[in-house]
Amino acid sequence: MTALVALERVGFTYPGAARAALSDVSLELAAGEVLVVTGETGAGASTLLLVATGFAPRVVGGRLTGGRRIAARRCGVVFARPWTQLTGLCSTVQDEIAFGPASYGLPRQAVLDASARAMRELRVEHLAGREPSQLSGGELQRVVVAAALALDPEVLALDDPAAELDPEAADALYDVLPAIAASGKAVVVATPDLERAARVATRAVKLEGGRIATSGAPAAVLEGTEPSLLARAAGCPPPWPLDVPALVGRVRR
Amino acid sequence: MIGYVPGTSPLHRAHPYTTLALAGAVLLGAFALTRPLEVWLLVAAAAAFAAAGGVLRSSARTALLLSLPIWALLFVLHGLLGADPRTTVGPLSLSVPGMARALVLGGRITAIVLGFLTALATTSPHRLVEAMTARGVPFGRTFLLASTLTVLPRMRERAAQILEAQQCRGLRLGGSVLARLRALGPLALPLVLGALAEVDEQVLALDARGAASAARRTALDPPPDSRAQRLVRVALLVLVVAAYGWKFWKMRG
Amino acid sequence: MTLRDLVLIRLGVAVNLVIGQIVAALLLPVYLDSVGTILVAALVGPRAAIVAGLLSQVLNAVLSGNFSWLPFAVVQVVIALYAAAAARLGAFRRLATAVPAGVGMGFVAASCSAPISYFLFGGVTAGGVTLVTTVLRALGAPLGVAVASASYSTDLLDKAIACGLVCLVLRSLPRTLAARFPALAR
Repeated sequence: MTALVALERVGFTYPGAARAALSDVSLELAAGEVLVVTGETGAGASTLLLVATGFAPRVVGGRLTGGRRIAARRCGVVFARPWTQLTGLCSTVQDEIAFGPASYGLPRQAVLDASARAMRELRVEHLAGREPSQLSGGELQRVVVAAALALDPEVLALDDPAAELDPEAADALYDVLPAIAASGKAVVVATPDLERAARVATRAVKLEGGRIATSGAPAAVLEGTEPSLLARAAGCPPPWPLDVPALVGRVRR
Repeated sequence: MIGYVPGTSPLHRAHPYTTLALAGAVLLGAFALTRPLEVWLLVAAAAAFAAAGGVLRSSARTALLLSLPIWALLFVLHGLLGADPRTTVGPLSLSVPGMARALVLGGRITAIVLGFLTALATTSPHRLVEAMTARGVPFGRTFLLASTLTVLPRMRERAAQILEAQQCRGLRLGGSVLARLRALGPLALPLVLGALAEVDEQVLALDARGAASAARRTALDPPPDSRAQRLVRVALLVLVVAAYGWKFWKMRG
Repeated sequence: MTLRDLVLIRLGVAVNLVIGQIVAALLLPVYLDSVGTILVAALVGPRAAIVAGLLSQVLNAVLSGNFSWLPFAVVQVVIALYAAAAARLGAFRRLATAVPAGVGMGFVAASCSAPISYFLFGGVTAGGVTLVTTVLRALGAPLGVAVASASYSTDLLDKAIACGLVCLVLRSLPRTLAARFPALAR
């Protein structure tokens, strides 16, 4: 199975930056997987997403070194803040989701079919006629993901997608990711939310200072944090909580 | 008061280009007419335009409210302080050419405001965007027109939030002109810098959804146009040109 | 025009229309409705700034109902060109050069708007400027002089403050953000 994206010893520096944001990163993305990228703020997770999907340096400028091969026909990207991702042109959710296919000049019926399919996948059909500015953060973020999916991208990158969502909305968003991957796409999520990430990840990568520190099975990469070790020692069944709030939640139960 | 009012009048059903052409003709025509009678005929035409849209009452009321300060100033600036010869009306000494000028200037503004209020009330922004997209207007223009209006409320909200936050930090809004001028920085800078910081994400989101695509965008719901309406638009253009032709011919002769 | 230019133009227009809110809260005798245009001129260039200025004029008229402001769109073009030239010459690098550049801009802008105000509207455009015009006229000044004086005095102050504000914004940009605007490096 050929990789949708292959990065070989890739480095990337933003314009005007003193340090490289990424150094010596080698990574492959394959269809059907959910890859979680984690690391401290500034470790390069967001940058890795942009480089892997081809948006850096094309849209954001900067300098890329190393070998990059993107076999994917199209890549979609979703960011943390729902409202900055609206086009502002559309008065209904359906139009917002249809914006992508319509922009490529697809015939009218094909556009409507694509948006209907995306709305079904994200379970937002009931919001079709609503105005985007009136939705809650969680609903809007699902609409944004649907809008990205309407273009049928082979790679979907999500940069901390649940950052501004309440817990239920965050759960709902992460729960959808495995199904998206199962439909033949590569899903890559950059997030500090290790617990939710562990639930959906098929593979994980941890970045430190722009370099890959660990990579492999989610349990190996995302684990090893003190809360998870404590929980295991206390005899809790997996999945083990990876951060303190999750540990507290589990212990209370 | 100002803005789209849903309805089913002929103007609502007309192609947005036609209603805008009518308002534009009133705007341009107003400056071609120089005598009080001509200008007030135009005002009557604008009123007929509003009646055709079923918005005469609301538009007239709003137009009056908006032009009231102008009428007051016109009365003072030209009526009371105008040149000789003068006439006496009750206790007031009014300038005859001044009053004529006031009638022309006031009539112009009233006609223009009435025309545009009608156009706004009968054209939904969504329909205008669809009309422009169907005509193949480049994405940039529709984007700027429509999405700026969507972005405004959020920016106003943020401005209010910054105002509140800075006041909590001890910023005083009163005081000398110099003090108030210095308060401008802490209020305006965060607003502008915050907006600039979002630019990259907005560009990425738009790019990912095909906004930069060279293909001709599909209009999903284009408003119908007709030969009759196209003829009306051409006729309006001819009328305006004729009006200016007549004006300059009168000036020469 | 790239997507980036479009998003920046939209930002400039929004800034033009919203800063008026702040100015009103501070009760300052200016409009500051060109800050966005000047900013876009410094960050992108003259073409984008002209679009921002024209669009601001149209939207301002549409949103406030004061459609008689539409003919003043010409003044926005002039401001955009002046700002782009000033930015190219590095006027926005320090307040000491930005504010005088603003005064010059005010002079040029008033030289354009005063004739429009006088010939098309007889000096009456329903703003603070018109009040000044009326007062001067009542004091005996001829209409032309009153319109001109009112225009110049308000515009000089307005544009000087606007340019000063843009200078502060540009100096406050974090280095990595500033690097994204090649026009600044020139």
